[in-house]
Amino acid sequence: MGKQISIFVENKPGKISKITEILGKAKINLKAMTIADSGSFGIIKIMTDNNQKAYNILQENNFLVSLQDVVVVEIPDKVGSFHKIAKILEKHKINIEDAYGFITTEGIKAVLILKVKNVKIVEKILKERGYKLIEF
Amino acid sequence: MKQKQAPLLNLDFWDKDIETLERKKIKELQLENLNYSIERAKKSEFYRERLKNIKKIKSFEDLEKSPFTTKEDLLKNSPFDFITTDLKNIVRVHSSSGTTGRSKYIFHTKKDIEIWADLVARCLYMIGMRKEDIFQNMMSYGLFTGGLGLHYGAEKIGALIIPAGIGNTEKQIELMRELKTTAIHITPSYLLYLAHYIEEIGLSPSEDFNLKIAVVGAEPYSENTRKKLETIFKINVFNCYGLSEMNGPGVAFECPYKDGLHLWEDSYYMEIINPKTNKIVEEGEEGELVLTTLKREGMPLIRYRTGDLTKIIKEKCNCGRTHRRIMRIKGRVDDMFIVKGVNIFPSQIETVIMGFPEVDKNYQIIIDRKQGLDILTIQVEIKKEFFKGEINELRNLQEKIRDELKEKILVTPIVELVGPGTLPTTTGKAKRVIDKRRL
Repeated sequence: MGKQISIFVENKPGKISKITEILGKAKINLKAMTIADSGSFGIIKIMTDNNQKAYNILQENNFLVSLQDVVVVEIPDKVGSFHKIAKILEKHKINIEDAYGFITTEGIKAVLILKVKNVKIVEKILKERGYKLIEF
Repeated sequence: MKQKQAPLLNLDFWDKDIETLERKKIKELQLENLNYSIERAKKSEFYRERLKNIKKIKSFEDLEKSPFTTKEDLLKNSPFDFITTDLKNIVRVHSSSGTTGRSKYIFHTKKDIEIWADLVARCLYMIGMRKEDIFQNMMSYGLFTGGLGLHYGAEKIGALIIPAGIGNTEKQIELMRELKTTAIHITPSYLLYLAHYIEEIGLSPSEDFNLKIAVVGAEPYSENTRKKLETIFKINVFNCYGLSEMNGPGVAFECPYKDGLHLWEDSYYMEIINPKTNKIVEEGEEGELVLTTLKREGMPLIRYRTGDLTKIIKEKCNCGRTHRRIMRIKGRVDDMFIVKGVNIFPSQIETVIMGFPEVDKNYQIIIDRKQGLDILTIQVEIKKEFFKGEINELRNLQEKIRDELKEKILVTPIVELVGPGTLPTTTGKAKRVIDKRRL
């Protein structure tokens, strides 16, 4: 099962650079990041090459963090890849709560991160369809 | 689960005759002592002039003819103007600071100190403290009355006292664990901080200590805060009321029923007035507490305006004590702030915030004015365990807190969520309200 890290941040300059600085010093590679903003605070979601380590180190640095289960699936980096997955999940009446991704090899491979209610079921469905699931 | 609650309804008395004296006799005693106090006060420079027309008081209505004594009176005059006896008979002075920088000084004779200690012993015995207890007094020793006041009372009972004083949290925890402390005296904000600290270092406030009782006072706090503290530590938390002008702690105290504080009417005569009209309100109505010392020799105070807002609980208490109870102090007349023309007390906000298990114990109230409009912002800390990483949960929480606050204080505040441990904490009295409008 894949993981992502949610970080609570007050909406103040310097908060993100603090996070990237901590991760950089710990030699953790940041793979992808999204930010949801809600006025005075926001939530940053990150995916790294070592999520458990990143989680621990952020917590040690007094960040409010939470480790969440997500589906991390490899897809071809070409037109229509995401659509295929979206279609499969639609058929199973599964709602995608949040999604983002990153390219691993330009024109060949990309990684899609999906936040869904039941990660295990979605993983099973995608596996059966021949998708490769990734764990960080 | 380990059951470590102290027996709740320990209905023993320290001084049964006085504590259960019938109302009629209390009133007789009060009238007698009021006359004693007034006559005694007339020996002081300050009251000589002021009370010269006050003859023997035959009813409580007669007392209303004498003027109030205010904080300003204490600050304006020389402290010695209030002494009724030769200075050689004064054995102790306590003081509390006024907002303007000058201090109020309160003088005590040896007998005053003894009577005060006995009152405090009465309070502590009422909540179950006995000789066998190990009492860690986590209040400032010195000019502040909280430290020495409780110390003398607990010593009178015969408890083992740890005069720990305030601050140095690590040391406090070490003392509590090494010496197996069973009772503490502490401010609510410091006890909340202590809980946080104990959890931070990986200990359990409820399982790793021998605590049974906490006397929590010196700052107003809400019923929800009490419940929160009781749940965290699995102890009984009792509210304590006092002010240095009336000796200090021990003026009023909760009994095991925890439903209002018995104000010791053999030592203090209480009136509740409307702070705007200065008229006495109906019994049971809210107003400012006005107190007259009935026994103090060194420095009697007549009709002293405490600035504290409360009301009298008319009903008899099940514990058997006949001294009337006052409600938990709602706030100080001067704590109240006005936002958009509405009177708000920090305690109202605290009550709402403490009702949310998702937020931590610390909070801050910020009042600002932008383009002529008051803006009320409440900052609360999210609890670690509650954070699941979803922004919607936080938005919902924010809205729920905001709506409940609006219902209670009639002003819609901005609720800001911040991370745990981000708001400033103090080990002494907490500064919760920041009014930027006056800066």
